[in-house]
Amino acid sequence: MQWNTMMVMAIALSANLFFAPAFSAEKAPAKETVKEAAKAPAAAAKKAGGQQVKSEAASATATAKAAKAYAQVSAELYPKAKQEGNLIVYSVWDVEHLRVITEAFMKRYPGIKATFWQGRNPEIVTRALTEFQGGQASFDVVLSDNAPPVIRAAGGIMDYNTVQRDVLYLHDPNMATVSLQIQALAFNTKKIKPADLPKSWEEVASPKYKGMIALDDPMRAGPLSSMLSGLKTQWKDDARFNNFLRNLKALGVPVHKSTSAMFRLVISGEYAICMPALLHDVMEEMHKGTPVGYVKTVPPVVFPRQAGIYAKSPNPNAAKLFAEWLISDEGQKTTDSIGRETSRNDFKSKTSIESAYGKNMKPLPVIDQFFLEDPKAWLDKFVKPIWEG
Amino acid sequence: MTWKANRLALRQGSLFPLCASTVAGIVIITPVLVIMWRSFTSGKMGFTVDLNVTNYLRVFADKDIWPMLNNSLVYAGGSALLGTGLGGLLAWIVARTNTPGKGLVELMPLYPLLMPPIMKNIAWILLLAPKSGILNGMLEQFLGITYPVFNAFSMAGMIWTFGIACVPLGYLFLLPVFLSFDPSLEESAYIAGSRPVHTMLKITFPLALPAFISAFVLNFLRALRSFETPVLQGTPGNIKVFVSRVYDSMALEFNTGLATAYSVVLVILSIITLYFYVRATRFSERYATITGKGYRVRVIDIGPWKYVTFAAVCLYFLAGIAIPFVVLIVVSIIPYFDYETFMTFPSHMGLNNYRTVLRHASFLNGLRNSVLLSVVIAVVTVFVGIVMAFTIHRTRAVGTKIFEFIGTLPLAFPPLVLSVGLVIIFVGTPLYNSLWALGLGLFVAYFPYAFRNASGAIVNIHKELDEAAWVHGARWRHVFFKVTLPILKPAVGGALFYIFIEAIRNVDVAVLLTAPGLEYGPVTLFEYFRVGQWAEAAAGGVIYLIILIVAVSVAKFAFKMKFSL
Repeated sequence: MQWNTMMVMAIALSANLFFAPAFSAEKAPAKETVKEAAKAPAAAAKKAGGQQVKSEAASATATAKAAKAYAQVSAELYPKAKQEGNLIVYSVWDVEHLRVITEAFMKRYPGIKATFWQGRNPEIVTRALTEFQGGQASFDVVLSDNAPPVIRAAGGIMDYNTVQRDVLYLHDPNMATVSLQIQALAFNTKKIKPADLPKSWEEVASPKYKGMIALDDPMRAGPLSSMLSGLKTQWKDDARFNNFLRNLKALGVPVHKSTSAMFRLVISGEYAICMPALLHDVMEEMHKGTPVGYVKTVPPVVFPRQAGIYAKSPNPNAAKLFAEWLISDEGQKTTDSIGRETSRNDFKSKTSIESAYGKNMKPLPVIDQFFLEDPKAWLDKFVKPIWEG
Repeated sequence: MTWKANRLALRQGSLFPLCASTVAGIVIITPVLVIMWRSFTSGKMGFTVDLNVTNYLRVFADKDIWPMLNNSLVYAGGSALLGTGLGGLLAWIVARTNTPGKGLVELMPLYPLLMPPIMKNIAWILLLAPKSGILNGMLEQFLGITYPVFNAFSMAGMIWTFGIACVPLGYLFLLPVFLSFDPSLEESAYIAGSRPVHTMLKITFPLALPAFISAFVLNFLRALRSFETPVLQGTPGNIKVFVSRVYDSMALEFNTGLATAYSVVLVILSIITLYFYVRATRFSERYATITGKGYRVRVIDIGPWKYVTFAAVCLYFLAGIAIPFVVLIVVSIIPYFDYETFMTFPSHMGLNNYRTVLRHASFLNGLRNSVLLSVVIAVVTVFVGIVMAFTIHRTRAVGTKIFEFIGTLPLAFPPLVLSVGLVIIFVGTPLYNSLWALGLGLFVAYFPYAFRNASGAIVNIHKELDEAAWVHGARWRHVFFKVTLPILKPAVGGALFYIFIEAIRNVDVAVLLTAPGLEYGPVTLFEYFRVGQWAEAAAGGVIYLIILIVAVSVAKFAFKMKFSL
């Protein structure tokens, strides 16, 4: 390495150390957003965009309109994206899933080289926001569940309203919902008879299930806390919510910080009921003949997986094109092929709510923007006083 | 006084080791300082308020941390004691007794090192879970004991799993000491009428104390910041450990400053532990077992007890790798794990999980990068570690004890916190998103292992050896390369092997420093562990272990490579 290059690096490193605090200046709006959210969650949610739910199936007209809008936006964005030439995705999805997705995208849109980096949500948020604070134009899209709203709350996401919004089950006017995380009440068929199963999420807290239940830790940003957020939004009844939490706590059951590990222990027979499990995990195990099932009368919890466009994206057109393609019929087919739940109302797949639960099921969407953007503050306010009190 | 002493030391040729240690110290301390600085900023990721003590006020007002700290100390102390004690015992058996099957016995305590800790966690959960565990199931089926005798989700279960994983490090640290022993020390005891066991307890083991404490400190700090065992085994048993506060600050609050402030408690604990180590070894001549009088290893004939020691090594091999490995093999070829399916396993065989793993294109793609980088990291960290230990214990420069703390400090930080510090340093520089940044990150993360290993070993070499060289006008390089390094050869081999094995499977530190599009390590394999797909993880783990075991065995037997002996 040349001496002058080393000197430049040394100066850059020193500058980083001493001037890192200066980067904080551009983050003020995000601070306000979170503060507002803590004070008035509903108003803050509206300001930030908020999730819109469309539980009924999209009409043929909506499907046709979405297809037309996609064709138009694709024709408009592709030449610009091709000129940009690159797309960098940060994601929590499995490496092999990302490989399939990016290869399919590159095949559809030749001339754009898509690369990805995979990490867990805390790693994605940490990396994305450290780069954002450092003013780095380092990536284009963050494809994940928990991470995009948190990065948005910090000002790190560029607003983008998808043109295919009419066919989405959960729509956020600032970020494209490209897939859904669906949580189900799962059980071990060898350990509990169907007649003895709880009929609702609320019934799980009944004392008769003591010693049978594996519970996700409600004090982490995991499936149970998002379910609690969904229930709170739906019930609009604080006394009922608090009572449910109290009863759940009274079971004195072990809590788990890893949903997948908890689900494996339910399969092994350590517990009879899993609260909750990811629907695609349950379906996959059922397909293999594992003795597990899910309670079809208990509404699935639906959490958005989004493609958020980075505020300092070096390739914003490629990023928008990628988000639109993921929602398009072709993108949804690719998403379905890797076993992930699709986000469109009009797309039929084995893990869609309609095929797993039937036409009349009303799922439990997680749409509380306060929870999505600052899960810790939400849990401290609504869960901690009862759970740890 | 200090300056004058240092000028004298430099004139005597200590310039290079002092400068090299200072540069290494700066590289190591910089990310530590950066994350310490972050602990004095409040707010969350994305917006920051500088210079305040809000995080520390939160940490010390947190009433829950005391019971958590108590749990952490019991867990870390228990695991480190079990691991280092057992490792030391195995090292003594291998080095000093006439236990049969030497070629096999010397390698058996090392094989468990090849198995990543999280694989052991999963295997021991499957073995010891109260209701569905294999051992409890067998007790019920064959002896009618319905009460769950074993419980993976207990403090004892946690200490057992992590303690067993700490054994190879204790073994690697203590083996060179037992192998490089001045026989006159023990012979004097025998001449005075001491029996072998008495000699062992009064002479041999006390002389191995610096290396023992060095390994204990490392294992203690590893356990203190370890996350998998507390998450997988502690949480279901309602055992909360301190490090979970650090992770909650990152994973729930995305607040690096708060996570770092919590980590500072770990730093304080590390400094206290190191203080005891420095005090215990301040008269290092006391522990010098290698002197100028020449040495050869005296093997003690322990009579029929040699079969007991052989059985002890085999027992550890069974618990350390064989039983967990067999459990994982079975889990990887049965459709799903429960006790009934496990016990009727030959009738439910299938290779689907292996097909799933091997279909993944990235399974082998990243291996080249990680093998190359791990070899380089192992060589560089071990060399610099020895130079730093040499600077502390062998040069006459004053104030070098500070390196004792600097060299160990990165170990006090959980990997994710440490890697945040590294990202903050590198972001915006040409190093960011390059293999250089990844290499430097791994260097910082693994330096404490190399350094503690060298420091423990160098204390056992009497100063008279290099003093003889200094007196004859030798420069530092002559003393270092001709005297110290050759004597340290067994310790060097062990450290190289250990760091290579650890670095090749590193995900935690590497993850934030890996560039998009760069495949590092068997990412896919460890992803299964990270997402909790146990059957696929078991299949991938079995493939990974077979590759490593074959590589180590070929290196050992075909190329006569020595890892520790």
